[in-house]
Amino acid sequence: MYRTKKVWLFLFPGLLALMIFYFIPFVGGIRYSVLDGSFSNRFVGFENYRKLWSNSMFLLGLRNTFELSLICAPLLWLLSYLTASGLARIYPKGVFVRSSVLLPFLAPSSAVILVWQVFFDYGGPLNRLLTALGGERILWLNSGAMRLPIIIMFLWKNLGLCTVIFLSAIRSVPASYYEAAELDGIRPFRRTMNITLPMIMPSSYLVFILAWINAFRIFREVYFLSGSYPDLTVYTLQHYMNNVYGKLDYQLVTSAAYSFAVLVLLIFGILFLLQQRAANEING
Amino acid sequence: MRKHKAFPVTQFLLILVAVLLLLPIAATLILSFFSPEELKAYLATRNSFSGDRMMEIRLIPREFSLLQYYRILITDQTILRGFVNSALYAIAIIGGQILILPMLAYGLSCFRFRGRDIIAFSIVLLMVLPFQVTMVPNVLTLRTLNLLNSRWAVILPMLTAPFSAFLLRQYMLSIPGELIEAAQIDSAGPLHCYIRIVLPLSRPVIGTMIALSFAECWNLVEQPLVYLTLRPDLQPLSVTFGQLTSQIRGIEFAGAALFILPSLFVYMIFQDDIMEGVQIIGIK
Repeated sequence: MYRTKKVWLFLFPGLLALMIFYFIPFVGGIRYSVLDGSFSNRFVGFENYRKLWSNSMFLLGLRNTFELSLICAPLLWLLSYLTASGLARIYPKGVFVRSSVLLPFLAPSSAVILVWQVFFDYGGPLNRLLTALGGERILWLNSGAMRLPIIIMFLWKNLGLCTVIFLSAIRSVPASYYEAAELDGIRPFRRTMNITLPMIMPSSYLVFILAWINAFRIFREVYFLSGSYPDLTVYTLQHYMNNVYGKLDYQLVTSAAYSFAVLVLLIFGILFLLQQRAANEING
Repeated sequence: MRKHKAFPVTQFLLILVAVLLLLPIAATLILSFFSPEELKAYLATRNSFSGDRMMEIRLIPREFSLLQYYRILITDQTILRGFVNSALYAIAIIGGQILILPMLAYGLSCFRFRGRDIIAFSIVLLMVLPFQVTMVPNVLTLRTLNLLNSRWAVILPMLTAPFSAFLLRQYMLSIPGELIEAAQIDSAGPLHCYIRIVLPLSRPVIGTMIALSFAECWNLVEQPLVYLTLRPDLQPLSVTFGQLTSQIRGIEFAGAALFILPSLFVYMIFQDDIMEGVQIIGIK
């Protein structure tokens, strides 16, 4: 460890950028959310927030963003855990699978959307499969059913990164633990519950947070499929922010951002405390 | 060592996952070798709601053709222009991050000074805040500095990717302290230690950072939509591609393939780094 003032030379460029683009305006922006934005710029207290929280489009976007992310994040967490534990099981085999899972994460959404449009078309392969199985065709891309394609596209894109993180966590569990369990004749399911999951707790918490943050960003695919004003079931918070920003209403934009920040930090804080508590229980 | 048993069901399921993940990308590549007329005719069968008419599932072109590529590269360069914009953003952002972020992480991991933990903690906070929140401070600063509707609006706020800073710091914290103490005993200054010891050791995590940033830069949607509302000419391909393909011109899939191609390269180069770099996430 160095203890010298020279550290500030290394920190300077990064801290400067963080200060200018995040911390200072984050604090300074609070001003906008408590002034009325008119020529005289009166102090109005929580008036903007009251207006925001009674705006039906904001509430719709917030609800959709939370609903979509609460479907997507746990699903992604589970699927990537399953994929990773499968991969860990057959390791060192599975090179092909390991090297293809991350590819969707790097492919740009707007390029792949074309294929999805064909896949989910009213006469496309998915509906073909449905009718072959004796079902009814569904209007995937222009109706309330649009949530399913959005969820599938999200999982497709994000499965790889979460799988890779899980895989390295599972592989770092000492093999001797499993050998001992095997000698004691412990069944695979209990092995998972009593060894693997507790051992990879910090990573799995991080994967969950990552999955959730990414799920909050569900917007691109919706935007490419149906623009700024999509079906009401997939109208996200980002749509609301963009549309309000387009009207240059800084009062509402800032109020929305701070409201959302408080909500998110509250949730992640509670999750973190729960994780800590569980970890303490295991260790002591 | 655990015994290497064969797990046929696991293997089959994993290969199924890999095939499903690769399918959209493979389909894009195949469709890019259709002749423009054939592609136009094929895509025109979308959105047909009459009776039982379904789209064909076509996996082989009637005749193999490079005409789509010829058109996007030679005769109609609108896609190419977007591509160049995207490349400019990616190079500027990733280049800047390589300069700034490892230095920041070095300062926050190999030095001891007052305020270190507060800075590290605020980076984590920034990391968990969704884009809808961090977008607002960015906009406020860009407006104050009069940078909206210029390339800088996209580049500058992205120079401090909090997730990458977090990853780098975690990795550098795991570098054995003896190495740095040895350098101190040889009275090597912090700069020497950074260039000769810390940077070379951090190669995998820097590779991970580059790959993650590339995924982000190659798929910029929200930022340019908000920051470049008045400058369609500066938009990256990740935004314009969706607009270009709203009317079918028979060149879409070559464009998409061209757009995906750099992702393939980046992935091939940094694949091993990613696998190594994410291991650090599990260690707290």
